[in-house]
Amino acid sequence: MRESEGTQTDAFLIFDARKAYQGFTLDCAGQFERGITAVFGPSGSGKTTLLDCVSGMLTPDEGHIEVDGAAVYSSEAKVNAPPEKRRFGYVFQHGALFPHMSVRENVEYGYKLTPRSERQFEPDDLAELLAISGLMDRGVRNLSGGERQRVALARALASSPRLLLLDEPLASLDAAHRASILTHLKSISERLAVPTVFVSHSLSEVLALAPRMYALDGGKMVEYGDTHEVISHPSVARIADYGTLENILSAKVLEQDNEDGTSRLAIGDTVLVGPPTESSPGESVSVSIRSGDIILSLGVPPLTSARNAVPAVVRDVRETGGLALVYLDMGETIVAEVTPVSARQLDLKRGRDVHLVIKTNSILAFARDAG
Amino acid sequence: MKSQTCSEDSDSLNPLQSELALIFETIVLTLRVAAVATLLNLPLALALSWLVVKKRVRGAFILDVLASLPLAVPPVVVGYLLLLLLGRRGPIGSVVESSLGLEIAFTWVAAVLAAAVVSFPLVARAAMTAMEEVDERLERSARILGAGTVRVALTITLPLAYRGILAGVLLGFIRALSEFGATIIVAGNIPGKTQTVPLAIYDSIQLGRGEETRVLVLVALALALATLAVHNWLLGRSRERRA
Repeated sequence: MRESEGTQTDAFLIFDARKAYQGFTLDCAGQFERGITAVFGPSGSGKTTLLDCVSGMLTPDEGHIEVDGAAVYSSEAKVNAPPEKRRFGYVFQHGALFPHMSVRENVEYGYKLTPRSERQFEPDDLAELLAISGLMDRGVRNLSGGERQRVALARALASSPRLLLLDEPLASLDAAHRASILTHLKSISERLAVPTVFVSHSLSEVLALAPRMYALDGGKMVEYGDTHEVISHPSVARIADYGTLENILSAKVLEQDNEDGTSRLAIGDTVLVGPPTESSPGESVSVSIRSGDIILSLGVPPLTSARNAVPAVVRDVRETGGLALVYLDMGETIVAEVTPVSARQLDLKRGRDVHLVIKTNSILAFARDAG
Repeated sequence: MKSQTCSEDSDSLNPLQSELALIFETIVLTLRVAAVATLLNLPLALALSWLVVKKRVRGAFILDVLASLPLAVPPVVVGYLLLLLLGRRGPIGSVVESSLGLEIAFTWVAAVLAAAVVSFPLVARAAMTAMEEVDERLERSARILGAGTVRVALTITLPLAYRGILAGVLLGFIRALSEFGATIIVAGNIPGKTQTVPLAIYDSIQLGRGEETRVLVLVALALALATLAVHNWLLGRSRERRA
C-alpha cells in the first residue's frame, strides 16, 4: 500500500479485511484503482478468500470494504450488503454456466435483474464483442473451454457490474484458448472500462493483462504496485516461478504460410517471422513468446540461424531470483530473461538500444477466437 | 367391508359387483391418503433440505438425524408415539378436540399423518441429495448476478434438482401406499374409513377370504410397479442429464 498512499483519491476498491476461514487467516488491506489489478499468489495464499470477501459470498470477521466511495461491508458501521445488492460481476475458473439454460438465457440472467436505468451493455453487443453471437441459441453443454469462459464473461458484463472479479478465469484453458481470452479481457477493459480484479497464479497472465499487481502470500499482502516492479521484487521472487514466464501479445497476420514455411506477424510496427499459422492474412492472433527464448544482442546481430532480429529499447532491468528480467520496448512491452552476468556484460540499462533475437519456432501464434 | 357385503348380499346387486365396488373404494382411499401425505411432506422436505444442505444452519446435523429417524424405528413405534400425541388425552389431540370438536385418532387424517411421518425420510433424503448435487458455484454466480436467495432457489437450485426431488416424492408415495404398522395403531382398521389396501389385505387373510386377498395383492403390486417405473425413468433421465 505504500504506493497508493499518495494517490488515495484514485482508489476505487478499498479493503482492509480479516477473516479466519477453514484453518486459514486472511489479513490484508489494499487500495485498487480503476483499470485492471491482478491479485497474484501461489495456491492457498488467500486470493479466492479475498475475492469472496469482496463479492460478499464470505463475510469477514472484521474490517472494511468500500467500492466507488460506498461501503459494501464495514464491521464498525455494521454494513454488510448481500452479494446480489453489490452489483459486481464474477467469473469462475470453469465458467459455472447454468446448465439448464441456453447461452442467451445465461447471458441475460443478470441483465434482466439489472434495473433498466443502470444497464450499460446490451447482451447482443457483448456477444459480438466476445465472438459468441453464433452460439446464443445453443445449449451450454457442448461448448469448448474457451467458449464457456467467453459466455461467462458476457454473462457477468451483461449485469453492468460496478466491478468485475475474475477468479483464475484462464487456469483451466489450454494455451490457445488462454491467449484468446486474455486478448478479449484486454479489449474489454479498454472498451468497456469496467474496473477489474484479476486473480491469477500465473505471472505471464498478470504481465499480459494488468498494469498493477497485488502479491499475496499466506493471507498477507507481500507487495503492491506497478506490475513490472512488483514482479521482480525480492519478496515476490520467493513465490514466483520465472521459468515459465512468457509474453502474450496481440498480432495481425500479414502472411499465413510462405514458400519457406513461415508466417509474418505484425505486433504494432514490428514484423516477426513465425511458424505457419491457421489464421488468414488480416486476422488477429495472440502470440506467445517465452521470456527465456529471447536473446539480446548489442547492435545488429551478425547472420544467425534465428530469423528475427528486432530493434528494441531497454526500459528497465530488474535482478531477481538469480536472473535478470529485462523490460524492452519494441512498440509493445516485452520481457526477456537473461542471467545477471549477461546483463552486466552487455551493460543493460534504461535507454540502451538492443536487438531481440528470436527463433521462428519460439513464436507461438493462436487464432483469436480459438474454440 | 365384511358387514357391508353381508347387508348388500340380500340386495338385488350382483355380489361380485358390490365386492369390486368396495375394493375400488379401498383403492381410492389408499391413493388419497398416500397423495395427501406426500403433498404434506414435499414442502417440509424442501424446506428442511434447504436449511441443512444450502443454508447449513446451526444444528443441521441434528435436523438431518431427526428427519431420518422414522426410517430407523419400527413403524409400530411411530404409530404408538403418534397415538400418544393425537389421542384424546394427547397434547395435540386434546387441543384439537376442545377447540374444533374434532377427533384425529382413528380417522383418515390419522392415516394420512401416519403415512406422512413414515415416508418423510425418503422424500427428505432424496431432496437433500438432489440439492447437494447442484454445484454451489452456480448458486453463487446467480447471487452475484443479482438474484436473491428465493430467486436462486426457484431459478437455479430447484430446476436442477427437481428430478431427484420428484424421484424422492414417488418413493415416498410408494412407502405411503404400503404403510401398515403405524396406521393400524393410530388410525385403526375401519373399512371405508381408515382401511387402506395393506390393512384390507391383512383383514382378508385373517378372515380366510382367498379371492379378495388375491385381488388386493394384485392391486398392491400394480400400484407399486407403476410408481416404481416412473421413479426409475426419472432417475435415469437425471443421470443422463448429468453425463
